Amino acid sequence: MVAAAPRRGFAGRVLMRRPWLARLIVITALFALWEIAARGFVDPLFLSPPSQVIASLDSVFGTRGVPAALQLTLFELTVAFVLAVAIGLVLGLAIGLQPLVRRSFFPIVLLLYGMPQVTILPLFILFFGIGAASKIAFGVTHGMFPVTVTVVAGVQNLKPILLIGARSMGASRWQIFRYVIFPHMVPSFFAGMRLGMSGVLLGVLLAELYVSIAGIGYFTTLFTQNFDPTKLLGLIGVLAVMAIVLNAVVRRAEAHFARWRTE
Amino acid sequence: MVTAETAIKVRGVSHQFGVEGDRRFVRALADTSLDIARGELLCLIGPSGCGKSTLLNIIGGLMEPSSGIVEVRGQHVRGPLPADIAFVFQENSLFPWNTVIENIELGMIFQGVAKSERTARAAEALEAVGLKDFAQHYPSQLSGGMRQRAALARALSLQTPILLMDEPFGALDEQTRMILGEDLSVLLARSRKTIVFVTHSLGEAVFLADRVAVFSARPGRIKQVIAVDEPHPRKPEFVTSAKFTSLRNELYGLLHDEIRKAVQQSAAAGTAPAALGRA
Amino acid sequence: MVGKTGERPSRDALASRLIQACFLVSLVVVWYLAATRWGVNRLLLPNPLAVYDNLLDILQSGEFIDDLNTTLGELAVAFAISVTCGLTLGYLISRSSYWIEVFDPLFAAIYSIPIILFLPLFVLFFGLGPPSKIALGASISFFPIVINTIAGFGHVDRLLVMAARSMGASNYHLFHHVLLPAALPVILTGLRMGFTTALLSIIGSETLASLAGLGHRIVHLAEAMEMARMFAYIVFVVAIAVTLNTIVSTLEARGRRN
Repeated sequence: MVAAAPRRGFAGRVLMRRPWLARLIVITALFALWEIAARGFVDPLFLSPPSQVIASLDSVFGTRGVPAALQLTLFELTVAFVLAVAIGLVLGLAIGLQPLVRRSFFPIVLLLYGMPQVTILPLFILFFGIGAASKIAFGVTHGMFPVTVTVVAGVQNLKPILLIGARSMGASRWQIFRYVIFPHMVPSFFAGMRLGMSGVLLGVLLAELYVSIAGIGYFTTLFTQNFDPTKLLGLIGVLAVMAIVLNAVVRRAEAHFARWRTE
Repeated sequence: MVTAETAIKVRGVSHQFGVEGDRRFVRALADTSLDIARGELLCLIGPSGCGKSTLLNIIGGLMEPSSGIVEVRGQHVRGPLPADIAFVFQENSLFPWNTVIENIELGMIFQGVAKSERTARAAEALEAVGLKDFAQHYPSQLSGGMRQRAALARALSLQTPILLMDEPFGALDEQTRMILGEDLSVLLARSRKTIVFVTHSLGEAVFLADRVAVFSARPGRIKQVIAVDEPHPRKPEFVTSAKFTSLRNELYGLLHDEIRKAVQQSAAAGTAPAALGRA
Repeated sequence: MVGKTGERPSRDALASRLIQACFLVSLVVVWYLAATRWGVNRLLLPNPLAVYDNLLDILQSGEFIDDLNTTLGELAVAFAISVTCGLTLGYLISRSSYWIEVFDPLFAAIYSIPIILFLPLFVLFFGLGPPSKIALGASISFFPIVINTIAGFGHVDRLLVMAARSMGASNYHLFHHVLLPAALPVILTGLRMGFTTALLSIIGSETLASLAGLGHRIVHLAEAMEMARMFAYIVFVVAIAVTLNTIVSTLEARGRRN
């Protein structure tokens, strides 16, 4: 916090002004460590170096069924996200706009949000089968509650003076919703969408990994049983990149719609 | 200056928060009567928590009095009268997600003003408060003084005959306050609006008001009304005149004991005085 | 806004409690009717009374103890690891605003990846037993703890630090009387979040790939199609999770007050 500044050489000064460069160095160092460990110290049955993982990415995509499984997962994520946001928003507005409804049902929503939903994952598979439906459903139940919770909070923590001001200028109930409550809610709604995306990713991937006879779960199980860390790491890496990209998209949207919050 | 015509008539208004016997029960305002003439600028001044903001909200129809009635231009006030009354609040009441110009237009949207007229009136109001170059800024990009100018522009653009201002400069520093006061005096002299202006500042009251109503400590009632006989717009030199000083001293004399009483009250109740008056 | 409030708040609270109770009761009634009258397949939805009987049986026989021990043991080790690493690293990084800027975005970025993806990897490394669950739980719960520790220590009001320094506080005094109390609420929140995520990911990883533990038991019963007993275990696990989370939240609230 209180940074002492001793004399530094040229490299030190360059780094001081560019934290991102230092971040890059840290990341590179971690990969280097991984590379060295995999080449020199760890049994290749368990760990392969990152260079090899990247070099053999095409063999992962070349494995029969992997591209289709990845495509299906992306489809599930998208559908689950759209549904989670829509349901979460409607639920949030229904609960948040009415004080009595909010006091009655918000605690229930919070309780459900806090519950380890993974305990009912087997039920989802039994109900909806091993196909896309169960994964989408599980993604939706993970993603909708954060959206609901942030929408309720967003509707709620409006400064009273803004409502009083609108009322004093003769705003109708609809106008108050349209011009005051709704725009106030938008940034928290987008924050909710970000959390919703994390939830959807968790839910869909949990379900994908759980079902070991089809989809992503089949291949992770297969690669694990074959002691093929190269392909396993490649597949995981592709999925992680997918998650990062989806998160980044939602983050961008959030930053865009919360421009006025530059206080 | 003061014409015979009455714009606002306050009759026997009192107000209390909570229910008698309750721990948080507060008698804020006691049996207040007041006539405010058309075109007059009346300042309400008094110790914290004396109910002056409460009275303002009651006049504007934002609160219902526990008893008594208020008439604005002959009609009994039962709720907000957006066609007759515009507000400027102490707190930043601009919508943070709208730019300055959007904020000003929104009030007119609420009242169904046509688009072309909105644009013209908003531009005019911005010009009047000297914010022409900040139309596209968001409130968070403005200083406190500029925000209050924008809030004033919003109120002016509504073209109401009456303006209610609740310590509009209360949160600003002394210098910003002084400049805004001078500008306001010029602006209002031109507009001929009826204005009720709540303030803490003795100097501000004397500088702006035709009459100053001094409130007693809680439960607030009007202790005395002092006339400030000086033409509008007030010149900056007025502040250094003997008349200004003697009026200011008179107000100080009237207020000093009340403020002491109010501070003792709130110390006894163990609460911050400011928290009670406004809701 | 402005209201004439009297005894209304308590009446409202009562009304909302009533609505909650009605809602929950009607949920169970609908479940019962669906299972008994409306002909929903018993393999999908067991009778709630059967679930209740099974729950009683589980509790009385004590057959849950082994699985509970496995799960709680994994949780304890995983949480201990993530707390130790998270607090230490977080504190060290928070000592310099430069390191905060280097590491904070890095942790936040990794945290946004669903780390559950690495479970297959951990299974490959450590096998199906507890170590892979511990590895996953520790690596997931590490992030909220380290991020909050950095936030807590790293953003102490400079004015407080300067005030303490001006009164001649030593480094130890500064840490004990200024930094720690100022950072504690944020750190406690991180610990609570870490605990919740650790619990979640351990039950999750037991569900996905394991040989023992509560999550494994539920999957086992699902595969055997013993629905009533499975529902009973779900209720049991949810109750345990809610209890643990409530305890941790209470501890957090208490820690904030002191």
